[in-house]
Amino acid sequence: MSTVAHAETHGHDHHGPPPANVSSRVDSRLLGIYIFIASEIMLFGSFFTALFFARVIVAPEAWPPEGFHLPVYLALVNTIILVTSSFTMHWALQSIKRNYRAGLIAGLTLTFLLGLTFLLIQAREYSRIGFGPDANAFASTFFGLTGLHGAHVFVGLSLLAFALVRSIRGHFGPDAHDHLGVEIPGIYWHFVDVMWIIVYMTVYVL
Amino acid sequence: MSATLHAPAPRRTGIRRWTAGGWLRALWTTPLAFLLATGLVAGARAALGYEPLLAQQPYITTLMVMVPIGFLAGIGAFDYWARYVSGRPTIPDDHASHGAHSWKDYFKVNTDHKVIGTQYVVTTVVFFIVAGLLAMFMRAELAEPGMQYVDPQAYNGLFSVHASLMIFLFIIPAFAGLGNYVIPLMIGAPDMAFPRLNALSFWLLPIAGLMMLSSYFIGAFGAGWTNYAPLAVQQPDGNLMFQMGVQWAGASSIMTALNFLVTIITMRAPGMTFWRMPLLVWANFATSTLVVIATPFVAGSQFFILFDRVLHTNFFDPGGGGYVIAYQHIFWFYSHPAVYIMMLPGFGIVSEVISVFARKPIFGYRLMALSLMAILILGFSVWAHHMFVSGMADWLRVPMMVTTMVIAVPTGIKVFSWLATLWEGRIHFKTPMLFALGFVSMFVIGGLSGVYLGSVPIDIHVSDTYFVVAHIHYVLFGGSLFTIYAGFYYWFPKMTGRMYNETLGKIHFWLTFVGFNATFFPMHWIGTRGMPRRVADYDPMFGNWNMAISIASFALGASTLVFLYNMIVSWRRGEPAPSNPWRALTLEWQVSSPPPIFNFDEIPQVVGSPYEYGVRGARHAILNGKPVQEGREAAPMEETVP
Repeated sequence: MSTVAHAETHGHDHHGPPPANVSSRVDSRLLGIYIFIASEIMLFGSFFTALFFARVIVAPEAWPPEGFHLPVYLALVNTIILVTSSFTMHWALQSIKRNYRAGLIAGLTLTFLLGLTFLLIQAREYSRIGFGPDANAFASTFFGLTGLHGAHVFVGLSLLAFALVRSIRGHFGPDAHDHLGVEIPGIYWHFVDVMWIIVYMTVYVL
Repeated sequence: MSATLHAPAPRRTGIRRWTAGGWLRALWTTPLAFLLATGLVAGARAALGYEPLLAQQPYITTLMVMVPIGFLAGIGAFDYWARYVSGRPTIPDDHASHGAHSWKDYFKVNTDHKVIGTQYVVTTVVFFIVAGLLAMFMRAELAEPGMQYVDPQAYNGLFSVHASLMIFLFIIPAFAGLGNYVIPLMIGAPDMAFPRLNALSFWLLPIAGLMMLSSYFIGAFGAGWTNYAPLAVQQPDGNLMFQMGVQWAGASSIMTALNFLVTIITMRAPGMTFWRMPLLVWANFATSTLVVIATPFVAGSQFFILFDRVLHTNFFDPGGGGYVIAYQHIFWFYSHPAVYIMMLPGFGIVSEVISVFARKPIFGYRLMALSLMAILILGFSVWAHHMFVSGMADWLRVPMMVTTMVIAVPTGIKVFSWLATLWEGRIHFKTPMLFALGFVSMFVIGGLSGVYLGSVPIDIHVSDTYFVVAHIHYVLFGGSLFTIYAGFYYWFPKMTGRMYNETLGKIHFWLTFVGFNATFFPMHWIGTRGMPRRVADYDPMFGNWNMAISIASFALGASTLVFLYNMIVSWRRGEPAPSNPWRALTLEWQVSSPPPIFNFDEIPQVVGSPYEYGVRGARHAILNGKPVQEGREAAPMEETVP
């Protein structure tokens, strides 16, 4: 044990690592995604801070400024679409927990399509809105926050696509450690959904 | 320097050499990503009718996103995940890429935390040398009043790149590297929780560093590492390299922090409760929490600058209704906690070193851990003390001054606990201990000038003078760098399996210590007399002082050569290191040097505190059936078994 020779004397044992002790009730991968989401919330926080400064500290006379309008009702439709997709995601996860594979695939497909619809409607909204991000601080924060959120929808959609490919290929099962590949994209998707409600309330409604 | 004797992977031949993950594949995926990015931007601009087609900034930005991804895909950082997401069977890489067989293995994607730790440390030292050379250029220019070698914008580029590299590519990742190597060992785990994420977060680092350095080709960024708006928006295109470099380095540090947190929470050995963790693990726990919460804010601030430059948004442009001071608020909301990101792991290293070399239990273990957490929380409430002269809301000044003063309390607890640990200890003045003691004394000076700067009237007087330069170097050089040196020397035998040369180590310490004080102490004086920082020229009345400082700084720079010589020669030809040269109790010293490939043959059982030096019969852990207790002072086992 006392010198480098140790590695040589014991090196012949061709063995894998001893299993690590599990010192927490939370699965490491679930903990990982929760910590990652905490970090993501702070990233959104910095964008909300920029909005706060432009709107509350600078305090222009009107917000949105004269001549700028946001399609509040179109965005409400989008909100409903995204909230619905959280329920279909939940259905997908519950299905695999009961080993109901068709429900898993249908749920993931529905969630993916709803998320895609959301993104396409948002792209349409951008192209018809009548101003660009360079118009003024209002436009900058609008495109900043909705664009940051759109990027997160895109990441969420990619994760859903990965889970969908794997479930079509027959992966995942009812055991808790066997459907983490559905659960973790699901947690991320719910985060994206809740974050949209906050973005919608702050940017469009308030 | 490997601990493994597993058979190397079979050699790939023919076309497989170009399609399997590695440098050969990166040779074509990187240019491919370059072409894709260029085509994408050109296509989009042509389709949308944007003029001119060849505007530089959109291309540079897109290239700096896509080329690194192409390179990472080429060397194989995403191979496992690519198989996973496409539903193919994954290749377990626990055996294939664990450990290093030769020096070449350090240039590959490797998932062993020990290899990654070494990769981190060596990479950060390279960037440390480069950033140090930039400082030498600066001191050459400043040796005499007037302009000698560079023009003002080139000088701005020198100090900006110097600071950015030192902060983002040396201090923060050097701590991450040491943590990577020793945390799993200290808590009795076979590896990190997410080894592949760990490998990826290392490979983002050289990308970020090369990006910041290559800004010299298109006009180095000169707005300082703080990169304030609106100056940052008016800088040459090299400024984009800073924005994107920070994003890559920040992503790397968030991923590492996430990995540390999950590893520390879920993979501790049985019996290793939070109150039995070594303070280095505590320190990295606090730091990682800070990184996860705060780093997104610097990402945000650099995104806004990027948008203001490339998309012409108005986040910080008052002409369009933006708020220019918002940048400073968002930036410092990260960058003040970042000061602690650059300091807390050092506190951890020093706690280990002082306890081991004073042969005494660390004084006030629980308060040491709790004061780390207190600094973590208070660190978020002081950011505006960097902005007393910025024109921010006046009412913010006094609350921020008070919270700044309050931080001196947990920091003071730590300093007094280290002193109390030394009290009546059997102090061994080895090189790591010299650096730890140097740290405590220098950090007190830096901390006190920090209290000066935290009080509004003095801050207004010395704002943007060399007093600030002196303060930051007493904190980051006398503070962080000394702890990093202490950590390098302390764990060198463990990481390389060889002993460093003690005499050269001591010479290095004394040269650094004297050179450091001769360089930076006079800056307090010329700062209070009004010499402004970040300016290439100055009033001739400061000429003599600056000549003296420049001479001292060259001596300080030369002292690094002693360190490099010692490290390189000792790594190649040093005496073989025993497993526990310092007679330390923590777990990383209970396995061979370097540790076996999976760290432990069996997971140890932890039964007590890691710091019970000189306490009869106290044990830290049971490892392979043998208790880990101090050799000389501890009583034989029979005496203590009731």
